[in-house]
Amino acid sequence: MNLEHFLKSDGPSWLEVKGSDADIVMSTRIRLARNLVGYRFPLSFDEQEAKQIDQVVTQALLNRKNGDHFFSHFTIKEMPALQRQVLVEKHLISPLLAKKEKSASVVISNDESISVMVNEEDHLRIQCLSPGFQLYETYELANQLDRYLEKHIPYAFEESFGYLTSCPTNVGTGLRASVMVHLPALTMSKQMKAIIQTLTRLGMVVRGIYGEGSENLGNIYQISNQITLGKSEEEILNDLQNVVEQIIQNERNARQLIMQQAPIALEDRIQRSLGTLRYARIMTSEEAASCLSNVRLGIDLDIIKDVPLSILNECMILIQQGFVQQYAGTTLQATERDLFRAKLLREKLNAKTKNSVEKGEEKYDV
Amino acid sequence: MICEHCKTNQATVTVTQIINGQKSERHYCEVCAAQFHPFNVDFQNEEQFPLAQLVSNWFGLQIWKSETNEKQQSNTQTTTSCPGCGFTFRQFLNEGKLGCPKCYETFSSKLPQVLEKIQSGTKHNGKVPGSSKNNHLLLKKQIETTREQLQLAIVEERFEDAAKLRDEIKEMERKLEVGGVDTP
Repeated sequence: MNLEHFLKSDGPSWLEVKGSDADIVMSTRIRLARNLVGYRFPLSFDEQEAKQIDQVVTQALLNRKNGDHFFSHFTIKEMPALQRQVLVEKHLISPLLAKKEKSASVVISNDESISVMVNEEDHLRIQCLSPGFQLYETYELANQLDRYLEKHIPYAFEESFGYLTSCPTNVGTGLRASVMVHLPALTMSKQMKAIIQTLTRLGMVVRGIYGEGSENLGNIYQISNQITLGKSEEEILNDLQNVVEQIIQNERNARQLIMQQAPIALEDRIQRSLGTLRYARIMTSEEAASCLSNVRLGIDLDIIKDVPLSILNECMILIQQGFVQQYAGTTLQATERDLFRAKLLREKLNAKTKNSVEKGEEKYDV
Repeated sequence: MICEHCKTNQATVTVTQIINGQKSERHYCEVCAAQFHPFNVDFQNEEQFPLAQLVSNWFGLQIWKSETNEKQQSNTQTTTSCPGCGFTFRQFLNEGKLGCPKCYETFSSKLPQVLEKIQSGTKHNGKVPGSSKNNHLLLKKQIETTREQLQLAIVEERFEDAAKLRDEIKEMERKLEVGGVDTP
């Protein structure tokens, strides 16, 4: 499969709308950190080691038979910066991998549900992404690949420390399970601070989806386990499952409360956001994320009926700077990006009405 | 005051560092402070010095001190650098990361006190390569939820459904015993 397949603007499979909690949980991610015996970790290894590891791992993956997934392999160094950025924004590679100077690569399944990063912080980072709230199913997907790989690659494992990793925050199971949740009502009612504090005490971490420092951009939070040693995979997943279930319940309650107490104000906010997305000519990523969050809430609460949730999920990814530039076909200054972002959103969100109304948005220039 | 890291949120956490009797304070918001897990500190744009101090602070100064003392005392005794990569424990504290898998063995006496602070234990309790332990979480979870449905069906006197669910559970338990869904 060529790289273009993974760079196109269509939403990856994990952005589909799926599951009973799809109104709140957007996607689930499982990551397993693994290393090979006999090689130094990427922090200290040399180019020769990096190359060998890359070869061993990608050979094993590309030779995989009986699996349902077809893998493609891409070398990081050979990729232009913008393409790397797009893969980061699609969550297929990490920002750290994108910056690697020694031999590093990524192996991606054609539906983008699996991506294995080679020579990131650890020799291997097996990552599986699924739509909706599917911790156990996603873990099973990662586990199957892990069990296949362990037969072909000698893992660095030690009885008492478990899977050995470069950073001791990953040692043991090497498992990081994350759930991406949209929590507009809890954010609006200013309850997130207390929730984040509680979760930290429970050994969980909360981050924004657009990376560090973007904490509640679009009211989307990523909740993950912090602890990897001393607990089994099952305990880690059960704990996260329980915590997220409670947060879902809290968010639903908060939404109901806002609906009861300020229905008009809420509807005004939601409809204004939709108007902004459909007609604005300049759009920063912050404004886009916040408008998309409001519209998403509007769809969940049945206030907005003519916009499919799947388009919203797609837009959440598309508004990022790499995608905007990919869409424009060239690198852009920040102010130019805001123009193209607005154009992109108009096209996406007016696509439905375009069929019925002859005069579409496309006749306007940016 | 505004968080020194993200420069947007209100700073609510104060990290006090005392180095050589000199006291300095840093102010972070809740979120950034939580992210500043000892090993995830993103200080790339800043000098290395505070990072090392921050890490040693988090571990408690004791490790930092004992490491320096030990170095002074046992210069001629055993070497503390890892035979696999040459990393010393001091280097690990500075970087927050280990150099190679062998480091775990080399520093096995000192690592547990670090791990205690950041993990829920110091002993691996999960999956082991090649074993089937913990490898059927999905199936186990499905059995659990089907059992709940079975209970509900019995309470609601839907006996036909209950019989069906009972058979499903039996089938899943059989799968679990023989290795189940987890074919390579």
